[in-house]
Amino acid sequence: MSVTTDKSVAQPAAPAEKTPKWSSRVLLLLLKGRTLIVLVLLVIVFRAITANYLSQSNLILMTKHVSINAILAIGVTFVILTGGIDLSVGSIAGLAGMISGGLLYSGLHIFGVTIFFSAAVVILIGIAVGAGVGAINGLLITRLGVAPFIATLGMLYVARGLADLRSNGGTFPDLSGTAARGNTGFGIIGVNSWLGVPVAVWLMIVVALVAAVTTTRTPFGRRVYALGGNERAAILSGIRATRIKISVYVISGACAALAGLLLTSELGAAYPDTATTFELNAIAAAVLGGTSLFGGRGTILGTILGAFVIGFLSDGLVLVGVSSFWQLVVKGCVIVFAVVMEQAQQRVQARVAAR
Amino acid sequence: MKSRSPRRTCGVTLGAVTALLALSACGGSSDSKSSSGSTPSTTTSESTSSTAAAGGSGSKLIVIITPSPDNVFFKAEQVAAAAEAKKLGYSTLVLSHDDDPTKQSQEVDTAISRKAAAIVLDNAGADSSVTAVQKAKTAGIPSFLIDREINKTGVAVSQIVSNNYQGATLGGQEFAKLMKNSGQYAELLGKQTDNNASIRSKGYHSVLDQYSGLKMVAQQSANWDQTEALNKTQTILQAHPNIKGIIAGNDTMALGVYAALKAAKKTNVIVTGFDGSPDVVSSILKGGIKADVLQPASQIAQMAVDQADKYIKTKSTGSPEKQSVDCVLVTPANAAKVKSFAVLP
Amino acid sequence: MTGAPPVAAEPAPVLVAETISKSYGGIEALKGVTFAARRGKVNVLVGENGAGKSTLMKILSGEEAPTSGRIVLDGAEIAFRSPGEALRAGIGIIHQELSLFPNLSIAENVFAGRELRGRGRLVDFGQERTQAAKAMARLGQQHLNPDTLVEELPIGQQQLVEIARVLAEDVRILIMDEPTSALSNHEVDVLFGVMEELRRDEVTVIYISHKLDEFRRIGDYVTVLRDGSLVAEAAMTETDTAWIVQQMVGRGQESLFSRSDSEAGDVLLEVVDLSSPGVSGPVVDSISLSLRAGEIVGIYGLMGAGRTELMECLMATRPVTSGEIRVKGKLCRTNAVAGRLDMGLALVPENRQRDGLVQTMSVKDNVLLSSLSALVRRMLLPRARETATAEKQLARLQVKSPGLEAPITELSGGNQQKVVLARALLTEPTVLLLDEPTRGVDVGAKAEIARIMTELARSGLGVLFISSELSEVLALADRILVMARGRITAEFEAGHVTERDLVAASASETVLKVEV
Repeated sequence: MSVTTDKSVAQPAAPAEKTPKWSSRVLLLLLKGRTLIVLVLLVIVFRAITANYLSQSNLILMTKHVSINAILAIGVTFVILTGGIDLSVGSIAGLAGMISGGLLYSGLHIFGVTIFFSAAVVILIGIAVGAGVGAINGLLITRLGVAPFIATLGMLYVARGLADLRSNGGTFPDLSGTAARGNTGFGIIGVNSWLGVPVAVWLMIVVALVAAVTTTRTPFGRRVYALGGNERAAILSGIRATRIKISVYVISGACAALAGLLLTSELGAAYPDTATTFELNAIAAAVLGGTSLFGGRGTILGTILGAFVIGFLSDGLVLVGVSSFWQLVVKGCVIVFAVVMEQAQQRVQARVAAR
Repeated sequence: MKSRSPRRTCGVTLGAVTALLALSACGGSSDSKSSSGSTPSTTTSESTSSTAAAGGSGSKLIVIITPSPDNVFFKAEQVAAAAEAKKLGYSTLVLSHDDDPTKQSQEVDTAISRKAAAIVLDNAGADSSVTAVQKAKTAGIPSFLIDREINKTGVAVSQIVSNNYQGATLGGQEFAKLMKNSGQYAELLGKQTDNNASIRSKGYHSVLDQYSGLKMVAQQSANWDQTEALNKTQTILQAHPNIKGIIAGNDTMALGVYAALKAAKKTNVIVTGFDGSPDVVSSILKGGIKADVLQPASQIAQMAVDQADKYIKTKSTGSPEKQSVDCVLVTPANAAKVKSFAVLP
Repeated sequence: MTGAPPVAAEPAPVLVAETISKSYGGIEALKGVTFAARRGKVNVLVGENGAGKSTLMKILSGEEAPTSGRIVLDGAEIAFRSPGEALRAGIGIIHQELSLFPNLSIAENVFAGRELRGRGRLVDFGQERTQAAKAMARLGQQHLNPDTLVEELPIGQQQLVEIARVLAEDVRILIMDEPTSALSNHEVDVLFGVMEELRRDEVTVIYISHKLDEFRRIGDYVTVLRDGSLVAEAAMTETDTAWIVQQMVGRGQESLFSRSDSEAGDVLLEVVDLSSPGVSGPVVDSISLSLRAGEIVGIYGLMGAGRTELMECLMATRPVTSGEIRVKGKLCRTNAVAGRLDMGLALVPENRQRDGLVQTMSVKDNVLLSSLSALVRRMLLPRARETATAEKQLARLQVKSPGLEAPITELSGGNQQKVVLARALLTEPTVLLLDEPTRGVDVGAKAEIARIMTELARSGLGVLFISSELSEVLALADRILVMARGRITAEFEAGHVTERDLVAASASETVLKVEV
């Protein structure tokens, strides 16, 4: 057997650059941490302009403002990870607030009597309503094959309309309850503090921790990512797609309801327009935090950071005294910038990997 | 998954929807207890008077279009206008445009196709509403504008507004008095695209700027929204902890401001509002919010319907197109006598 | 055959890759390879999966830049920054994975990205149709309407559209990466006819293939890569099959397949009268079969015979109108994939990109995807357990990977296939279903997969696999079922069947029961 040229494996390979250039690595690191970096930059800039931006009380306040959007965004992140979208969270928050507000203010009229529930029960009912609306979203999407965008867009209107119907458009002005009715204490979740930190912030921390552990360390979380990454492969791997999808919309609805209850509790009043357009802030937070709208990529930590960027930015602008029109312009630019950065990260990542 | 029958799926979904509707509607009967007024009129309701067909030729329908009745002020307008129209023997169609000029235009189309006798309109924007009113006029339907003006004359038959500027000077004077003419204050503006937001702000400042001791340290728009007012107040309090008063461009914002002050345990900060809504009036009675400017919403709505009736019958209202009705100051002294956007004698 | 090759007679090299190296995230895919493509010849490139063939092609076609080394075209050094630039220089490529637009017509696909312009800069559809029809006719597909949407074509014809697309270009150098993997024998003949034509026109072809019989028919020169290095180069006439296999895997072909010698045990899988509806008649038509422990059963048939659909019915991803499926005597009732996995069925799908991999996830997560529930401790997934399980499984199948946390997309095709297999095996199935497990896989990986199948059968599993390669079915299966038009047309015992029998049965209209 003749061999024209036998270049054996033993032949030394040409000197190949095995490690990527350090500059690329640093760039990649910077891009991966971009949300955190933007947040730090924001804090530095605003600290330079306003003296008490970093005061303890302002930080607590800003975090409290962030908590509402963060809780909404965590729920939405679950949905986006599966490759879906939930446009109805703002309306669900409003509906949950109105139903809870109504139960506290005028009770439940049934069989000719009026029943008042304790604040804790009212809160649970509110969250159950949110979860229920989420379940309807999930059923529409999985069982009836409606596209997530359409199903939740429809629910955006339906839930808002139901919130209006609850009071014929009116406001439930006083939710403090009375001792006689045994329904005081609704203010605890929105107004009170524990160890100097608002209850709303504690709730955000709890929700975030549970969500982070769920996404990273449980089979459910892994399946959520798989479903968003490649639905066909996920189903063939034995993942019950329908069940997982309904679950993420239930989670999203429940988170939205919790956010609505916090808003209502803080205000001490429930009005049907509560949390209008909040769904956009929530989606923006998730996207800012690196969640891909195509599904399969994203983290809860990223979403939380995204919510902090949006919240710290808008509060900072108010603190400085920028007009509301410029606030919108700046917010929009930051969101688009974040997505541009995500694209840049993927390019650099590909380059580093290719070396 | 594929084996699930669509019928069963529909059933599950329908069942869930029904349950939700039931839960949502369960409070419907409690409507009268809410602050939204005593008449259970819905956003879009149609009712016909029993004393219909009172001689006049053609249509007996008056279409009433206002912003969202989420705000009790507009609710009061709807209620007062509808009640007056019914008293005069008209049927009514009450619509809401939610401050969306496009929706308003569609609703005017509805009025035209229903061959309405007149339109009573609280419009969705001084410039963006001109075309819609003109469209009605071309179709032979007279429009009677209430609460907000449009930037053109000769299109509507009447434009009856509360005198926002006069009201704001009243509010400004009371605010200055409560502040004892000195100290730091903040102002919350309404939606900056709304004409009334800037008129009220100008009215406030025509008074407040005369006192050198009064210093405005923050001015932010809260878009007429309660939650936004709450959040912005909290942030403003961070930047300016020594604030002595906050003057708000309307009542929903004043309520948001007061919620923030209560949470921060700073209820000694002076808050005034604008509108005369029941919630603020009751807060004044409890010593919360200190003063309010009442817009005679019900009175204006009644006037518009009365003039519409006269115009339908005589082709003239006997009044100039532009009319303004003065606002009234509400303080703890007269708050008890306020009912449905009117100070009872 | 000991003399030196006739150097003087060799045509001049037109495209030369000189000492090319390329590494991906620490893994060296190419180690100083020097490869020359000779003008007007068919230059065959062979090697196992992961040997570096596809990487070399990507570099030659401008899709990727080498880490070091240079490319010389007609004596001048060049550096392509994009496939477009390479195309302008006359280098075209036909990919192994289809890169068509399924939602566009044949004509639109052929001219995608370089639409023919008519008057007023508008697309000249008429001209495109005529030319596309001409290009398809050259490939023996004159009956196809150029307005047909590509997604409506069977995969073999889609491959031909891909080829027509490059043929419509005026390429001087044509790179073909496994162009025949989805083609029927007749289509392969037509393609080879076209290649003869190209050779006459002085077009240089670089041809990558795993199919020894095929490239020996068409190739002029053969180059063998192994582990990123060039191992051997020779004129095709001076080689034989055994030598090429020797070079590729470092051992002889005899050891490629070894049949399981295990005794058939109890019946594990029993299918009775299974049918599934299709657009025109049933795609699975009253199929009955059984599979015993320790048995390897091959299903042979042409494309569209209903083999993949049968697997889909077994895994509950396709609706069934009638019939029963029993695993170890227990009737499958649930209509969810998860239920079938619980019963002990597991499938390695044919199209790993579409149905196998979750591209956004890491190697580890892909391996563990089907068996997450089994790993749970106190509601969570313990990291150490995950890592240990994945590592063990990857080592068992000898997967080459830059790390457990590396994105699955960084692996070579053969290793990705092994990851999908690893996932299926982790569910500890009683019956393993494999749909074309060796499609687009090199000889070495084929041997490994065959080894794994035999091992599994020995350990008491039942293995049911689909294959379109006669030699593979004949060598591996204890029993062969032939399918045509949704039915089983013949059944053979190993050792009592020839290639001719299988081909005859796969084309037959009536059901033959061959007694052995």
